[in-house]
Amino acid sequence: MSRAEELGVTRMAFLGDIVGYNADPAGVIERIADLVAAKKAVALLGNHDEAIFKDCSKQMNPNANAAIEWTKTQLNNSHIEFLKNLPLLINEENICFVHASAHNPADWNYVTDSMSAWHCAQSSGKSYTFVGHAHEQALFYQSAVGKLIRFAPHPGDEIPVLPHRQWVGVVGSLGQPRDGNPEACFAIFEPESEVLTFHRTPYDHFSAADKVRRAGLPEELANRLITGK
Amino acid sequence: MPINTDIEAVDDIFQEGKVVDGFTLGKEVHRGGMASLFSATKDGIEVPILLKIPRVGRDQPVESLIGFETELTILRSLKSPYVPKFLGAGNMATHPYIAMERVEGRPLEDLIKEGKVFTIDEVVQIGADLAQAVQSLHSQDAIHLDIKPENILIDDKGKLTLIDFGLSHHARYPDLLAEEMRKGIGSAPYISPEQVAGVRSDSRSDIYSIGVIMYELLTGELPFGNPQTMSGLRKRMWAEPFPPRAIRREIPRWLQEVVLRCLEPRAADRYQSATQLRQVLRDPEGVRITERGERVEPPSFWENLKGMFKAAGYEPSPSPRPSMGNYDAPLMIAAIDTRQSDEELRERMQSTAKNLLQAYPESRLICLSTIASTPTYEGNHESETASGIVRGHLVQLMDWAKPLKLPPERISYHVLEAMDPAARIVEFAKDNDASLILIGASHKLPNKVTPWRTSMTKIVEEAPCSVHIVRT
Repeated sequence: MSRAEELGVTRMAFLGDIVGYNADPAGVIERIADLVAAKKAVALLGNHDEAIFKDCSKQMNPNANAAIEWTKTQLNNSHIEFLKNLPLLINEENICFVHASAHNPADWNYVTDSMSAWHCAQSSGKSYTFVGHAHEQALFYQSAVGKLIRFAPHPGDEIPVLPHRQWVGVVGSLGQPRDGNPEACFAIFEPESEVLTFHRTPYDHFSAADKVRRAGLPEELANRLITGK
Repeated sequence: MPINTDIEAVDDIFQEGKVVDGFTLGKEVHRGGMASLFSATKDGIEVPILLKIPRVGRDQPVESLIGFETELTILRSLKSPYVPKFLGAGNMATHPYIAMERVEGRPLEDLIKEGKVFTIDEVVQIGADLAQAVQSLHSQDAIHLDIKPENILIDDKGKLTLIDFGLSHHARYPDLLAEEMRKGIGSAPYISPEQVAGVRSDSRSDIYSIGVIMYELLTGELPFGNPQTMSGLRKRMWAEPFPPRAIRREIPRWLQEVVLRCLEPRAADRYQSATQLRQVLRDPEGVRITERGERVEPPSFWENLKGMFKAAGYEPSPSPRPSMGNYDAPLMIAAIDTRQSDEELRERMQSTAKNLLQAYPESRLICLSTIASTPTYEGNHESETASGIVRGHLVQLMDWAKPLKLPPERISYHVLEAMDPAARIVEFAKDNDASLILIGASHKLPNKVTPWRTSMTKIVEEAPCSVHIVRT
């Protein structure tokens, strides 16, 4: 967040899965809730957030379930209330924010290929749709024939994204990237100049992993933070 | 596609004397099918300015807009003395324009149309300058893909500028023209065979186009004419061009060799970089003349037929990233035995790696460890599964490398599954073109021959590169 502020970000969108893997869920919720209350951010519901107040154990792997059970022990009622009140999807003038896909958002479909991106863009109907869920950064753009084409963005490059075509930005994850690079992912959109920049920023993932271990969360989750896989 | 073509007022906005975003429009200097060009001035900008305005509106082709968007993206990102400076752009929906430096010079096309006969030296000079200009794009991960005499400006002093990036490709931006239905967009005489096949990511396509231009300047003819049909365009995938020396005898063999090599159908058979092309044009002594340079007869019917059969299975060569060519970036491998627990050796290996990496600022390190084999069944716990075990080893490698404090682009980690670790490490070093393997030899190991020790001797004997053994 401090890196984003350095870069002049005025408003943030947290695209879901606020809790579920990290070692300080209460702290994260409180920080985000404050930003949302101050209208400096919007936050969306992710499948791991939903799992806190709904039984989703059949859809998740044992590590994720173990983490959910542990996370529940760390949260009080107001934390859970905050998660329950998170919206599945937020539509703004020409932007749509959603955790998984604008196409049946509650089904937690992944946007990973041309087809899923097309469904997502069709359903949102907006020029810009920003999603999380999938852990790898990608930008889908509408080609001359209408199809959405996947592009692997290079961190730090300002990509002109003009609003007459549809774009689906998969921003990647802050906490658990899975492309072999442990650096946190985020993206900055500048509506006035119509540019989108994907970012990777290093953070102390060793100590984050340490906290995960010390919290008694599964070792694998700590290892994922370190390896970025 | 929901492109807003409802911009009928563009012609009203852009008129001589009007002011748009601080740019005062001057005369309209050119009106083409895709765009109009106006001269302009703006306070604070010293260089002459050109505004490029796309032809948009109901009756205009969508391509002119995509080309405009592509040019905007790429021109904005380029920094090159051979490309007009980007000076600003207008809102695409309301008043689209690109403002750029107005470069002195006339299109090479004009000189050709006037019937100018180029001397051999002039052609060599233009070819070398073009190669240099193109290299400056390639080094920034951009490919022009529409190099033709119309898009090359030459000023009084002979300096070249490349213009029109409406069909260009940039590896770091979405390619808006990718998967276009129409294959082979570009100018028929100048595009490469792989462009005809729809490939837009090969920097060697620009080298092909330089070859066509040199051919044209030398002989006054186009190597494959100006075909208007797909089958006509495909001819360049198999046909040998008429040897330039058969048209103009004074062309030296070496130059014919260079031009024909640029025109090879398979990108892998051409010069692999624009720098290499520039080099041979500036130093003809270094050109090895093959059969290409000796040709004086037009290709026979039978040769053409053979070529045609070959082209039936034409496969474009794989395209390397334009900026590839990291010759001075050595790759080092640290083979780390995650099983051994000799702290002293560990530290010494770490400091050796650190010193070596400091000596070569462009170098990269791969931390390797080998495991015997992973279970084929999937256990209940993730630490028992193949991916879990590998990840466990990765963590140890990362832990090992932590004190080196290398940025992610300089380091990577691999866990190799192998029954014979030494053979696998050697193979890995070969595959990755490694320059050095770093291994540790501990004296604390028991005297009997341990597997790791035999591995070490094997690596020393069989490695394709230097092996650095760290001892305590």
